[in-house]
Amino acid sequence: MRRRKTMEDRVLDTIISIILIIVVFVTLYPFYYILLITFNAGTDTASGGMYLWPRQFTFGNYLYFLEDPKWISAFGISLLRTIVGTFLGVLFTGLVAYGLAKRDLIFRKSYFTIVVIAMNFSGGIIAFYIVLKSLGLINTFGVYVIPGMLNLFFLLIAISFFTDIPEELGESARIDGASEVRIFAKIILPVSMPLLATISLFIGSGQWNAWLDSAYFVQDEGLRTLTYRMMQVINQSMVPSGDAQAAAMSRSSVTPFSVQATAMVVSIVPILGVYPFLQKYFVSGMMLGSVKG
Amino acid sequence: MLFLLVFSYIPMFGIIIAFKNYKISTGIDGIFSSSWAGLSHFKELINDYNFPMLVRNTLVLSLLKIVFSYPIPILFAILLSEVRHVFVKRFVQTVSYLPHFISWVVVTGISYAFFSSSFGIVNDFLQSIHLIKEPLSILTDPDAFWGLAVSTAIWKEAGWWTIIFLAALAGIDPSLYEAAEMDGASRLKRIIHITLPGLKGASIVVLILTIGSMLGGGLVGSNFEQSMLLGNTINSEKSQIIQTYAFTIGLAQGRFSFATAIDLMQSLISVFLIFTSNAIAKRVSGTGLF
Repeated sequence: MRRRKTMEDRVLDTIISIILIIVVFVTLYPFYYILLITFNAGTDTASGGMYLWPRQFTFGNYLYFLEDPKWISAFGISLLRTIVGTFLGVLFTGLVAYGLAKRDLIFRKSYFTIVVIAMNFSGGIIAFYIVLKSLGLINTFGVYVIPGMLNLFFLLIAISFFTDIPEELGESARIDGASEVRIFAKIILPVSMPLLATISLFIGSGQWNAWLDSAYFVQDEGLRTLTYRMMQVINQSMVPSGDAQAAAMSRSSVTPFSVQATAMVVSIVPILGVYPFLQKYFVSGMMLGSVKG
Repeated sequence: MLFLLVFSYIPMFGIIIAFKNYKISTGIDGIFSSSWAGLSHFKELINDYNFPMLVRNTLVLSLLKIVFSYPIPILFAILLSEVRHVFVKRFVQTVSYLPHFISWVVVTGISYAFFSSSFGIVNDFLQSIHLIKEPLSILTDPDAFWGLAVSTAIWKEAGWWTIIFLAALAGIDPSLYEAAEMDGASRLKRIIHITLPGLKGASIVVLILTIGSMLGGGLVGSNFEQSMLLGNTINSEKSQIIQTYAFTIGLAQGRFSFATAIDLMQSLISVFLIFTSNAIAKRVSGTGLF
């Protein structure tokens, strides 16, 4: 049934289209503009007035980025913490949730209470810092991945997911003589792929984007992450600096700002890379989380 | 076997929870001051000359974010649901929640690129069309901070929360629309009488979540990260909030127990807010989170 468009339809459609175009523009243009800066000579960008196309096309910013050991090590650390952190986080959260989802677990209710209290009530940043210090985690790589191993919010999501898996699924395998580990690996894991993909994406992007721990829990320059470096440049751009690095930069067409933009692009690209693959999962995962609160 | 499996998880679990509780107990006892401080840190906080400013900034930022950012995902979801073209709809939606996965650091970098008074593209553009003579110092002007924080938060998160509302809309029975169309209801009428009521459940859940996490910035993001990153010494009178104050005081000045007292206070207020909003929602609509 295809009915004719009424006057109202036309007006509404036009309004909607205009708003959507504005939304898309406002969302995408900032990304485009940053990309633009990275392909333009930094000194030229500083003179302003560039909106759509690079005026002095160059790869200089990327070359500078690749030659600077500071940025490269930061990129490596970020990548490493994302991989290790996501793996550990998903593994622990998944295993604990699977255990807690068993209905015949004794003290199940008490564990839940402990989880919910810990989720809503924290001791604050200072106490957290003291704990990290007494565990010897300060200034180590472990501080990036260990505290985040058990994420309570994802734990609750995972528990509700595992609870919904029918018990009979494992039951029949148990009768056939499969061990618990085997049941988990062969039956539970395959059906939980959407859940695991969602959690991986969230933990992964959280790890990739984290900067606070690198800024305050680590002093070793070799352990700084990419996001921390970017933050540093942003902070410095408020105060003009006259150090050796700035002098080195002045010889090329690179400015701190254009290098920072390059770092931003470098940090956005991996996210864009995995985004399309995980997209279909996280929308449903998001719903799972929101329904349970 | 099952028990063995289950119980091998418990130690891992115990370690991490102990962590959590240990944090809290450390905070309350102030074990580093090695003597009981009683409530003196709380008194100190309340008498601190920064305290009224911190509370004002925290509350105003949180309220502004709720007022401006809560309706936007709902409106956007309605808008998208009116788009017939499936590809366009999916494209716009995908684009709109892209910024959710970008770090606040990058968002701050982008806002520098746009609003900086020396190289920002916005100032540049406004000057070139002779709308303004002097560059606006959006990033350092204290009066601009609240607007900046709210709008960047909306830019980053609004598309993300639209997902929930769109899913709620997908649950509306299409025959309702067909029936309404048969009866001659206009499109606006259909939006008002079918779409809006269909969003009621989702709206309430999200509202409870928002109010519960209000002090942290509600749904649209972190007051803390914004205040740390977008805030600077020049606009600190409007950007400094309770959490960042605790952070700077504690880690930069080493006044651990005082900072922990500040944190604890904020924690208590948050828990209180969650329970009240849930109770109110239960009374008003009959549904709550717990």
